[in-house]
Amino acid sequence: MLRVKDLTLAYGAEPVLEGVDVTVDSGRFVSLIGPSGSGKTSVLRAITGLQKPSAGTISLDVPATDIGFLFQDDALLPWRTARQNVALGLRIRGLARRDAEAKAEDWLAKLGLAGLGDRYPAQLSGGQRKRVAIAQVLALEPRFLLMDEPFASLDAIVRTRITQELIGWVEREHLTVLLVTHDLEEAISLSDLIYVLSQGPRARIRATHEVDIPRPRDVLATRDHPRFPELLKKLWDELSAETSFEAVT
Amino acid sequence: MSFRLNSPPIRRLLVLISLVMIWEACAWAGWIDPFYLPAPSAIAKVMFTLFVDGEIWPHLEATFTAAIIGILGGLVIGIALGFAAALLPALAELLEPVMILLNAIPRVILAPLFVIWLGIDLGSKVALALILVVVLIFFAVYNGIKEVDHRLRERVITLGGGTGVMIREVYVPSVTAWVLGNLKIAVGFAFTGAVVGEFVASSRGLGYLLQFAQSTYNSALTIALILLIMTFVMLLFALSERLERRLLRWRYR
Repeated sequence: MLRVKDLTLAYGAEPVLEGVDVTVDSGRFVSLIGPSGSGKTSVLRAITGLQKPSAGTISLDVPATDIGFLFQDDALLPWRTARQNVALGLRIRGLARRDAEAKAEDWLAKLGLAGLGDRYPAQLSGGQRKRVAIAQVLALEPRFLLMDEPFASLDAIVRTRITQELIGWVEREHLTVLLVTHDLEEAISLSDLIYVLSQGPRARIRATHEVDIPRPRDVLATRDHPRFPELLKKLWDELSAETSFEAVT
Repeated sequence: MSFRLNSPPIRRLLVLISLVMIWEACAWAGWIDPFYLPAPSAIAKVMFTLFVDGEIWPHLEATFTAAIIGILGGLVIGIALGFAAALLPALAELLEPVMILLNAIPRVILAPLFVIWLGIDLGSKVALALILVVVLIFFAVYNGIKEVDHRLRERVITLGGGTGVMIREVYVPSVTAWVLGNLKIAVGFAFTGAVVGEFVASSRGLGYLLQFAQSTYNSALTIALILLIMTFVMLLFALSERLERRLLRWRYR
């Protein structure tokens, strides 16, 4: 599905990350974890073309229209209703307004937002806005989902619930996913494969781990699997070694 | 609408009425010189006469015409220039310093020049109102476009949208919000332009009447006119606020 080879990204003179290889095979759920400043988000931005790589290649064997990008924040168009926001991508794809809005309404209902289609983002809670943002992306029926810490801003209960819903969707539709996160438990409970980035600048892939816990998974139940604590410890040690105190304090 | 004595508008009104009554009493008692500060009843009488005799109408018409043309024209030109400058860097390079200069100076100093160029009729008043509004709106639009939330732009790009979608879904609504946010200030500016223009040289308008009242040391007429202008500007403020609330309803919870 995706092959990133020898990717180098720079904002100024010094690269944020350098020589990074990431492979995401079709149907897999892959996570990219790393300390802040390791350029995790930049990798996703480079894949979607929002940022130009300084070096390296990114090859995708799906058309751009099959890629969905779920951002970290839930920035929706504040002057458009929830329904119009979800319909936006559909209308860009050429659907008539009426059809796009009907389909948007279905998606809102699927994400538990039935009846809230006429609300503006300012009139929704953080969790509801996040669901609208998810509906906006899923409505385009992507085959490959890129997610940038999409749940970071939500409280624990809402987060677990929305994650579970999204995972259910990924399983049903056999989506391929690349998730960027700094939440180790989230990475283990969701992924088939985890890439660990080192501390930037000049971050690189420090380790990769296969997560041999069978799918489909339940976000909470996975934490009781015997492999979970082992992997968590391993990832924790790797990331602790990377996170220098000078960088934190 | 509930009618409670302790709501802020009622309290304000009560205080205002009390002050006016004290003022009136002081005038009756002869404690204040009507040459400087006439009694409220005297001012009310002047105001009443202005309307009953119909003397005020041509003046109101003149000032309103100048202010309305100024604000409408100012919006159109300001929005057009703001958009053009934001989209064409070469134009911004030329326009921005001029606008910054015009923004920094008290623009009413241009009034005498406009009188020389355009005469003492409507033209010079419209020009002054226009220049006051154009500079304000130009910056609202220009900065509004430059400061459009980049996250929204990226959102539209990742959803597959091109320039047309970007302008319709992101730029136009964003600029509308900025312009509406400045609408009340623009209304005030348009009236300033019209009245100051008339004050400088004219044969009609509230500014002309004010000038006449001042030169004849008629403080009752002066105060009546000031109150009149305040009333009209407040009415227009209320209208702009309603428009703003309606068009920017997405801002409110």
